[in-house]
Amino acid sequence: MNPALLTLRYTRFEVGRIWRNPRFLLFSVALPLIMFSAFTATDPTDKLGPITVGPYIMISMATFGAMMSVVTVGTRIALERAGGWSRQLRLTALTGPQYLVCKVLGGFTLALPALIAVFLEAIALGRAHLSVGTYLTAGIWVLIGIVPLAALGILLGYLVRADNAGQLIGSMTSLLALAGGIWVPVESFPRWLADLVKALPMYWSADAGRQIIAGSWIGWHGLFVLAIWTVLLGRLAVHFYSRDQLRA
Amino acid sequence: MPSDLPSQPFRRRPFTAGRATSAVAPAPIALTGVRRSYGATKAVDGVDLTVPTGQVVALLGPNGAGKSTTIDMLLGLTRPDAGTVSLFGRAPRRACAEGLVSAMLQNGGLLPFVTVETVLDTLRGLYPRPLSTVEAMRRAGIADLAATRTERLSGGQRQRVRFAVAMLPDPALLVLDEPTAAMDVSARQAFWAATRAWAAEGRTVLFATHYLAEADDFADRIVLLRQGKVVADGPTTQIKALVGGRTIRATLPGVDDAGIVTLGGLPGVSRAGRRGDTIELRCADSDTALRALLDAAPAVRDLEITGAGLQDAFLALTTDQPSTLPAPAGSKETAR
Repeated sequence: MNPALLTLRYTRFEVGRIWRNPRFLLFSVALPLIMFSAFTATDPTDKLGPITVGPYIMISMATFGAMMSVVTVGTRIALERAGGWSRQLRLTALTGPQYLVCKVLGGFTLALPALIAVFLEAIALGRAHLSVGTYLTAGIWVLIGIVPLAALGILLGYLVRADNAGQLIGSMTSLLALAGGIWVPVESFPRWLADLVKALPMYWSADAGRQIIAGSWIGWHGLFVLAIWTVLLGRLAVHFYSRDQLRA
Repeated sequence: MPSDLPSQPFRRRPFTAGRATSAVAPAPIALTGVRRSYGATKAVDGVDLTVPTGQVVALLGPNGAGKSTTIDMLLGLTRPDAGTVSLFGRAPRRACAEGLVSAMLQNGGLLPFVTVETVLDTLRGLYPRPLSTVEAMRRAGIADLAATRTERLSGGQRQRVRFAVAMLPDPALLVLDEPTAAMDVSARQAFWAATRAWAAEGRTVLFATHYLAEADDFADRIVLLRQGKVVADGPTTQIKALVGGRTIRATLPGVDDAGIVTLGGLPGVSRAGRRGDTIELRCADSDTALRALLDAAPAVRDLEITGAGLQDAFLALTTDQPSTLPAPAGSKETAR
């Protein structure tokens, strides 16, 4: 069977299924919207570095929602392994690698509504005034920024047990958000902590979008950190995936 | 079983009954020297099994005999430590991807929070020449469950949905792992009727079960597993004949465990047991045993001698004390 067709079919199913899940809508779409309106309610014209608070927090929350979508892929993989769905799929023409591609594609597709909803909210509340091109470019960079987190999601899916996957991955995303300066700007961290955080991918995930707002781009250093983490987490994910396939 | 169904409908079906087959067509199932250990436990310890087209084979054994591990290796879900698996001359993975083989797995296999119809539609899209979802549901008798969400199904309903899933690729070989485990009696009858109807078209079925009656009623051939090894393999009648001996039941007032040990040592007796005052002697030679019993225990009464049923054969061949078995000629049993 045509692998591209198979992959598309299964991704469509995956997206359709998650989209109807209230938990997804609550955590990946509604939560960032609520937090955006709360965090920007005081003085949206205040400045954080070169960016006003409105667009800064818009990028933070869009990155958070998008990140939730790709990391919680891990929860679903863990549940599908435990529930025997993965075994059932292995009796079809869909290969293991294709399944992973579907999971990643589905995660990114579902990152879009989270991202777009926050952007629209910022515009509707008058807390961001940017050109259409800037919104588009920033959106694309948010998606590029979360690529290593998609790898992390897959890795967690094969690493954690289904009974605590939801809690573990949920609290992990909160920590990741903290480390990425999404709750508190990294500029206000102590120096040593800021340095540590800048070696982790999450800071750069959020920075990728922010730099576009600031009229710049993430730069080679940030891109390098994201690439290194993508390779590292991706290799680990493939390792644990293979182990799972052989043991099953 | 329902009275309107023949009790042994497909026994001794000729091999040529299969569809799209020729003398050189590779067998639906060919396992050679398959082994798999988990830590120190030998789950499957050297299984050879070839199943020709059109046969309905029961993989019979107690829990822990290696049935599920054998099936997992057969389907390519677990890699054997040693040995080869071939389905229709292909690797298991390829045979499944081509839609030649499908299975009802023992656990799960249904995604929650979606309707039965959605699950079937989704899986259907992952096979090269599937049945329509409607047809698969019809064959499994679950048309009324189409709009039901999978997490709301009862145990028996889930099994029927899994059967519909297994029908989807329109396979030539169907593998069933404990298919009727969660079903009540009427669901079980309906299930076997549906599977019979399907197999009657010359397709091949391998099913694992620890229900003796199911193996006896439905299979052309029984493969008996114990501790990861095939201990017997043949038509049901032959399996019964392997044990061959008879059982003496009688009442012996006041008999105790020490007495049973003594009775177990009588000539012709292969195993002795008791329930209250009722004694049961499994005998390789019941005539000799009976004479010895009457001499040794004159108080014995209510004597009853019966031939071995399949239940006895099953117990004898699958319990952990093979030394009490009469060594059957030509079987793979390695007693003593």
